[in-house]
Amino acid sequence: MKQTILTFITQVNPDRVSELRTLLDVMGSNVEQNPYIPYLDLKLLHFSSLVLTDDDVYGAYLVFENNFDGELDQYLDDLYAHAAEGLHLIYSCCLDYPAGSATEKTQLLSYLRAHIVHPNAYHIGNVGRSAVRTQQEDALRDGFEDFLDEVVAQGDVGPASSIRKKVQTLVRSQPAFAWAANVEPRQTPLEYAVPRLKFAIAAVMALLLSPILIPLAIVWIVMLRWTETHEPAPPELDVKEHIKELVKREDRTHIVQNHMCSITTVKPGLFRRATLCGVLWLINLLARTFFDKGELSGIPSIHFAHWSMIDNGRRLLFVSNFDGSWENYLDDFIDKAAFGLTAVWTNTSGFPKTSWLVGEGARDGSRFKAYARASMTYTNVWYSAYTQSTVQTIDNNSRIREDLFRTLDVTAARDWVRRF
Amino acid sequence: MAELKAEDMQDIQGFVISGYAHLPCVSYLLLGISDPPSARGWLARLVNEVTTSEGKELISCLNVALTHRGLRRMGLDEETLDTFSRPFVEGMATQHRSRILGDGTENGPTNWDWGGNLTSEPAKPDETKAVDILLLLFGRDETTLDKLVNEHRARLAQCGLTLVLPLGAGRQPDIHEHFGFADGMGQPAIEGTIQTRDAAPRNVIKTGEILLGYVNDYGKLADSPTLRADLDPQDVLHDQPPVDPTEQARPSGASPPVMRDLGRNGTYLVFRQLAQHVAKFCHYLDEATRTLDEELDSTASDRLAAKFVGRWQNGAPLVLSPDTDDPALSKEDDFGYRDSDAHGFKCPIGSHVRRSNPRDSIGPDAAKALATANRHRILRRGRSYGVRPEDRRVDDGVPRGLHFLCLNADIERQFEFVQQTWINNPVFGGLDGEVDPLVGNLTKGDEIFTVQADPLRTRVHNLERFVTVKGGAYFFLPSLRALRYLASL
Ligand code: HEM
Repeated sequence: MKQTILTFITQVNPDRVSELRTLLDVMGSNVEQNPYIPYLDLKLLHFSSLVLTDDDVYGAYLVFENNFDGELDQYLDDLYAHAAEGLHLIYSCCLDYPAGSATEKTQLLSYLRAHIVHPNAYHIGNVGRSAVRTQQEDALRDGFEDFLDEVVAQGDVGPASSIRKKVQTLVRSQPAFAWAANVEPRQTPLEYAVPRLKFAIAAVMALLLSPILIPLAIVWIVMLRWTETHEPAPPELDVKEHIKELVKREDRTHIVQNHMCSITTVKPGLFRRATLCGVLWLINLLARTFFDKGELSGIPSIHFAHWSMIDNGRRLLFVSNFDGSWENYLDDFIDKAAFGLTAVWTNTSGFPKTSWLVGEGARDGSRFKAYARASMTYTNVWYSAYTQSTVQTIDNNSRIREDLFRTLDVTAARDWVRRF
Repeated sequence: MAELKAEDMQDIQGFVISGYAHLPCVSYLLLGISDPPSARGWLARLVNEVTTSEGKELISCLNVALTHRGLRRMGLDEETLDTFSRPFVEGMATQHRSRILGDGTENGPTNWDWGGNLTSEPAKPDETKAVDILLLLFGRDETTLDKLVNEHRARLAQCGLTLVLPLGAGRQPDIHEHFGFADGMGQPAIEGTIQTRDAAPRNVIKTGEILLGYVNDYGKLADSPTLRADLDPQDVLHDQPPVDPTEQARPSGASPPVMRDLGRNGTYLVFRQLAQHVAKFCHYLDEATRTLDEELDSTASDRLAAKFVGRWQNGAPLVLSPDTDDPALSKEDDFGYRDSDAHGFKCPIGSHVRRSNPRDSIGPDAAKALATANRHRILRRGRSYGVRPEDRRVDDGVPRGLHFLCLNADIERQFEFVQQTWINNPVFGGLDGEVDPLVGNLTKGDEIFTVQADPLRTRVHNLERFVTVKGGAYFFLPSLRALRYLASL
């Protein structure tokens, strides 16, 4: 099953910025019941956010983030069917919006289509699992847990194999659970193979072109090192006030996830822009192949994250939907992925001093965090379709269902029971 | 790293190095400043009585800490006040902090006895609960402590101070807290101090993890409040080290003004007054462990309590001694979870000690997991308050609990992280929808606790709130130099 990640980025009419902000804040204060976009009806949606940023140079932008199941056309139809009126009100505040009323479907949707930004790189934590399936599997697990409590209470646990039998019988006997017995696999063989094929082709091409690529790489390294040693030191940032604003919406009660949206300015000059573009391309290649099992370079807590170069490559948009606190997320980044994240953000202004693209940089923990905080924008509206689930619990729930009717040997059956 | 120098030991308050276990009686005085000039005079005199870290065996000890509000009232300038860390500046009771600390509903700051309205903004109308100064007084016995307390209380009025609340803790008869468990064994040791003498290497943390102005676990100097040198004409404070020790000098440019390090040899002190509902706790355990024919089962009840905590009543860690309270292991603090108990069959994944310090258990490999967990250590200095109940199962209505105190260099990365990402995290370590059974913030209807077992886990349901927050604040525990500087303002 395919998942799609994209943003609609539009410029906001300068005269209507505050009107739009008010509207978004109303939405954000009660996301699930907001009168503009009935998120709960959008069954394809995993996470979505609306961010209004106002920049001295670039003006006001509205970033509408969508992480959904399936293809764009179907999603847009669904969005229109449920939220035409709300979308119309929101986009009426944006520049060049053509529709005169919410009934003008073609105008509305073609406006959205014209403003799609596909990410340069993205990561998905639970590949191939739809939002609906995630919710179903969560409910299934809850049902199993309650059932197992009864098994324990009756004092009749028995070995793993007999526990499994009991659960299998339960599923067969309960119509509410019947769906669990036959569900499509996460990915078709083709969906699995294509990214790997692309990776192989890239590797072969790199090998074939190595006579050209190696000298180019040497030139690039020299330029990189020269740039790094001649750039001014990044300024010390005072982010206390900014953080005070940001945290107002963070760590909400009853949600185990958080959202972060960061916009940074790419360092001037083609060199940094090209380097960033290359780094993101490489990350995307790896994210499709090696990092498609729940972890991005060892970070186990990212549901959907994406990087997009916007404004002709002059700015970098990063959006992430992650588990746990921001502090924990950033620590994970620093401890496990300093290499990659330094390679990305060293190309943007204000990032801590870096050597050889991947050295130092983010390892300067508190400077890096200050930089990251400074780059963040306030998330006006944020929706999660499964507020209580982490990447890990979603994966665990999937495996519980997937392995329920599989023939398992003694060890595997034991491990299955340990998933509870 | 080398031992800290003798002159630093004279500068560091003794409470950092020692919890004064030899002094069983303690009293905390929460003070407000009504007249700053007199308060500075008081402080100037007090500095000479403050216990340092030189390690003398004393029959009484005294230490002192201030809130951000207290520093402002002492006369510290706004520019300098702003250089303190964000949690300390904002205080414990902002809306966001309440969310991450789990201080909602009954735990909420509006219900606190003290500290609840403590914000960095000056002059709020209801200041009765706000605290400026924490005076920590310890004595060998009641007589010694009473004398000390009375002496200090007598001084307050003429020194421009008010007594917001005396938190008398009385005598701590032994190391057991009110639920009956030995406490204080799981502890980090500060590199360069005597604490490392008996500590396992896995528990040794960089000096800058607790003390400001030293290198922390990232290899950087712990963030420390600073002030412009011209504000310290008498040269009371140290210069701030010019650059991070690991860093090259910055490229030329206007040289920044010389700064003095106000934080060096100081630390942040977190104080939470946690009421313990002992009878409720025991009652819950009894009911949850009734046998199939509804009989009470005290062995099972004690065992479940141990599963909540992660150590037996006398201290033996469950991970090392899953079936008995082995006295030989009562002080043991050199262990991990990964190799011997990855699934939590011995020590439940959600138990209090495994949550509050997961050691080597979370992450891809043991060494990395331990290194990561060790960035979130706190040096606990808590003590029980209120008399022991005669019968733990009877609710005698007497208030009692734990004065939870801990020290750390980075409140956000250490104390708050432990509280948010470990203790109150419903999905900690792969768990699904449960929080720390002892101190977690219960928000759902049916709160559960999972006891992992082979082949199948058991869960207990409908946990109750055994601990309630009664007050709290973030303090700065300054060095003696910094205290002298404040007195000189
Ligand atoms: C009334 C409330 C509390 C009680 C009764 C309590 C009790 C205990 C007990 C019995 C232990 C085991 C003994 C030991 O390892 O030293 C322990 C350990 C510990 N507790 Fe608590 N505690 C309370 C609150 C807290 C809070 C609020 C925190 C942190 C925010 C905390 C953090 C820790 C830590 C870090 C350890 C040591 C774990 C280790 O290193 O293995 N405790 N506590």
